[in-house]
Amino acid sequence: MTKFKYIWLKDLRAELYTWKSLAWLLVTSLIFSVTAYLLLTDRELSLLDHTEMLWLFGKIIIGSALLVVVIDAASLITSEFENETIEDLILTPLSVKDFVFGKLLAALTLWVLVYVVAVPYMVVTSSGTKLMGVFLGYTALLGTLAVLGFTMFIFAISFLYRSLKNTLTTSLTLLLALSIPALFSTTLKNNALARILGIINPLDNIFSSLDNVLVDYKVSITQNLTFIMPLVLFCIVMFVILIFSTKLFTRKGIIKG
Amino acid sequence: MPSGLPIESQGIIMNEVISAKNISKSYRDIKAVDNLSLSVEKGDFFGFLGPNGAGKTTTIRMLAGVLNPDKGTILINNHDVKDKQNVSKAIGVLSESRGFYDWMNGEEYLRFFAELYEIPNKERTISSLLDKVGLAERKHTAIGTYSRGMKQRLGLAKALINNPEILFLDEPTLGLDPQGQEDIQQFLKKLNKQGVTIFYSSHLLHEVSHLCSVIAVINEGKLVAKGTLEALQQQTGSKDLKNIFFALTNHK
Repeated sequence: MTKFKYIWLKDLRAELYTWKSLAWLLVTSLIFSVTAYLLLTDRELSLLDHTEMLWLFGKIIIGSALLVVVIDAASLITSEFENETIEDLILTPLSVKDFVFGKLLAALTLWVLVYVVAVPYMVVTSSGTKLMGVFLGYTALLGTLAVLGFTMFIFAISFLYRSLKNTLTTSLTLLLALSIPALFSTTLKNNALARILGIINPLDNIFSSLDNVLVDYKVSITQNLTFIMPLVLFCIVMFVILIFSTKLFTRKGIIKG
Repeated sequence: MPSGLPIESQGIIMNEVISAKNISKSYRDIKAVDNLSLSVEKGDFFGFLGPNGAGKTTTIRMLAGVLNPDKGTILINNHDVKDKQNVSKAIGVLSESRGFYDWMNGEEYLRFFAELYEIPNKERTISSLLDKVGLAERKHTAIGTYSRGMKQRLGLAKALINNPEILFLDEPTLGLDPQGQEDIQQFLKKLNKQGVTIFYSSHLLHEVSHLCSVIAVINEGKLVAKGTLEALQQQTGSKDLKNIFFALTNHK
């Protein structure tokens, strides 16, 4: 399994040639700039406690990165079907595992780039606190798990739909469906059902973990395991769904019917 | 036969490089290929004819291993078609769906596939192929700006990147001007003389009668005839391939 690197490099070059990832990085840096500027200068927002401000900024970084990666990842596999290039790839000795792993690396690379863009903003907003290291570390850890899980889900449905429109619509619907309850206040999450949904919702766990680290200063991994484990489980479930989807693709071949 | 074990190793010597036995493929209720059996000998220039929707492309896709038959067995170079590692090295395919990475240039496109096939001396191979298909001067131009004929020639170069023993071609001269068609035909003849087995699907009957040593006709998913042009002439009582084709496919 070494051919994944050719798929990964091909997709990275495609992102650069078509200016796609550069455009996304510009968009995210604009979002981060506006957010940081408002947090530091707006009269209402600047009244926020410094830790609350970092928590809000962390949510914005991971939320923006997820949105960008979801949109980008939706086209990574479906474009091979829509441009009819998948057949030529299948004809080569490239395995489906290599193909998927290369694509996964391409999506993760975009996340890494978004994270790198966010680093200076995180450094500036957390300067003067003891939280800079944990802010950088937990954003990287939680963001990576979220991106990994969502990308695997998107790839799984890409093999089933083979269409960008359907894959993108489903992915954004899922992201939206998970984002909305995660943004509810704690008083709205007091009943049993809301609490169960909160436990399994990956975005809820990311936001709660950031709150735990930045606001409550519970910074060790063991103090955050209750939030990290559901995220790991989310990734495992998405991995199983992806395996099932690729097996179905291998069995059916390039024609859906 | 154990999977992946060549037949020669069991003491049977065969000249067949493509062998399909009772293969069928349906898309929902439509039977695209129906219990089709065919064999192609090493060094054949095998013409594969049939009306639109007869199952030619589905057959080629199954023989090339990109589509699984619902039933039947396929051996390519004495390896089960599911043995991807051996089969993909033995075949080259110019398929019906010709997608390209439009942002790449011709040279980058061939390099990408050369890397996937792990071709030694890839730069020399790429340069020689670009020369052979007449794209050397446009190798640094983005594929998106290529004409249909140029894309066709690039597709052919891609199909040959792994120096295959068997070449599947689905409408290889489609969209080419007469000079381009002639160039490709001469190129294919030369390849065939060098020992490459060519499985050639086309609607251009004069091309098939001119190039192919063996011709098979498929209709409604079934093989209706196979043989040399002379054998088909005897079978149908018609002289030219057009009338043979009409007679075999019940054209009214």
